[in-house]
Amino acid sequence: MAAAKDKDREKTLLYVPGEGWLHRLNPLTRLTGLGLVAVAAFALPPAATIVIALVATLMGTVAGAGAVFLRRLTLTLGPLALALFVVHGMLMDHPNRFGFLGLDLSHDGLMYMVKILGRIAALLSGSLVFVTTTHPSALLKALDSHGFPPGVSYLIASPLLLLEPFTQRARAIREAQMARGLDLEGSFFARIRAFPALLLPLVTLALADIDHRAQVLDGRGFRARPRRTVLDAPKDSPRQRLARRVMLGLAPLLIVGAFFWH
Amino acid sequence: MALIEIDNLHFSWTPGGPGVLAGISLQIAAGERIAILGANASGKSTLAQWIAGWLPTAAATAETGGLTVQGKAYGDHDAASRPGLAQFTGQVPMQQLSGFAFTVFDEIAFGPGNLGLPEAEIRARISDAIRICNLEALKDRDPFSLSGGEQQRLSIAAALAMQPEILVLDEPTSNFDPESRDALLDQIERLPAGLTIVLADASLTTALRLAARFVLLDAGRIIFDGAAAALLAHPRTAEIFGLPEIRLAAEYLQSAGLWPAGVPMPQSTGAAISVLRPLLAASGVSQ
Repeated sequence: MAAAKDKDREKTLLYVPGEGWLHRLNPLTRLTGLGLVAVAAFALPPAATIVIALVATLMGTVAGAGAVFLRRLTLTLGPLALALFVVHGMLMDHPNRFGFLGLDLSHDGLMYMVKILGRIAALLSGSLVFVTTTHPSALLKALDSHGFPPGVSYLIASPLLLLEPFTQRARAIREAQMARGLDLEGSFFARIRAFPALLLPLVTLALADIDHRAQVLDGRGFRARPRRTVLDAPKDSPRQRLARRVMLGLAPLLIVGAFFWH
Repeated sequence: MALIEIDNLHFSWTPGGPGVLAGISLQIAAGERIAILGANASGKSTLAQWIAGWLPTAAATAETGGLTVQGKAYGDHDAASRPGLAQFTGQVPMQQLSGFAFTVFDEIAFGPGNLGLPEAEIRARISDAIRICNLEALKDRDPFSLSGGEQQRLSIAAALAMQPEILVLDEPTSNFDPESRDALLDQIERLPAGLTIVLADASLTTALRLAARFVLLDAGRIIFDGAAAALLAHPRTAEIFGLPEIRLAAEYLQSAGLWPAGVPMPQSTGAAISVLRPLLAASGVSQ
């Protein structure tokens, strides 16, 4: 039961344990790489974004997360690609129309679809490479050990950790209110009317929790010192530090370059 | 000088609202194990929060009086030294988790890490806390996936890793079955002898097991402060808690003229056995 809960958390996080070179990189290096991909997805022309997406997909599949990566990418990108194809390739009033397999398609619409899809694919595949190869705790330790304010780490960790207890509480409130006669299985309007009875206790308890957790954090010395001591911080190297500086230097160049390319 | 001094503390949660603490004066020495007992709404959890430094807050202050630790109000100690003064463990174990750590080990490391202590010292503290609270088998687990009893042990371990002078436990076993309660009490009994433990509880069983001094609260006032034997003889004790079974049995024997004259009522099974064994032997009953 408890082990199953641990596995549920791992599924929520999307992280896939591994020992490959991507996993061994410092999380900040991967995070910087993701930042560069995000900038490139908007700055570079469509052909380049497709190349980025393909490279990220290859990296994610071979070097890191394998099946989980591909499944998530397909589940997210597949429906989106289909929707963009229908909307921009067929339905929207784009010029240069032609017939193919009985479909009335627009060349300009399809080009627009490729442009949008390329950006999204680059962003999504880059993000998936990051989340499937980076455990949040490793990211927190990397941020802390590099002198980022502890509040930044907390903003990343707490939503991931507290989501499950919050969901459990929502479920408990739902069951308690139903036991008191609240109609949650009736018509749409009956459910709308019942909504405040679920939301108000959830929000009230969440606010009380915030107060309590703030006391817990104060009691444990959170932000009492500007720097935390980090145990088992992810390894870093001069090469990775150099790579991060290069990527950080490339980002503004890409932004400036985008004004010329577009 | 007492470690904790509370002087005529009057407190209510809202200004002008009903008084929760009504003129509490109390001194607690370093290393004492003291139980604050009372019925629901007697003010014991609020007093425990004062002792742990969770009160006052900007929105909830004393009407009169106050509390000092080592001669100073909590607010006059700096933020980095306060965690080393007192730690609080509340009734809902999940609420005690920091929301920052993905493993039990990291949860315990969170506090000492915040203080910027050297790595070797943090590891030593974690190791001690894990050993005392018997968490070795759980150290790689997700804190939010633990059972209530395990989370309570974890919150105590995280508190101990701060090496506080005072550990305040607010009904630590209220949600436990008897077996889990006994297991946790075993752990608490093994805590370092110099640690001041303040237990706020509505259970005599837990208090008698852990504490040497007992404070009985009634409607925000201290109506008793003393040792176990006198507590059990206090008229409000039986009204609030009922009497422990062993004491009831002893009273029955006394009323039947079977309890030795001059021998005080027992506070534990062991004490009762030590009185009863010679009686049983004398009457020829095999043990």
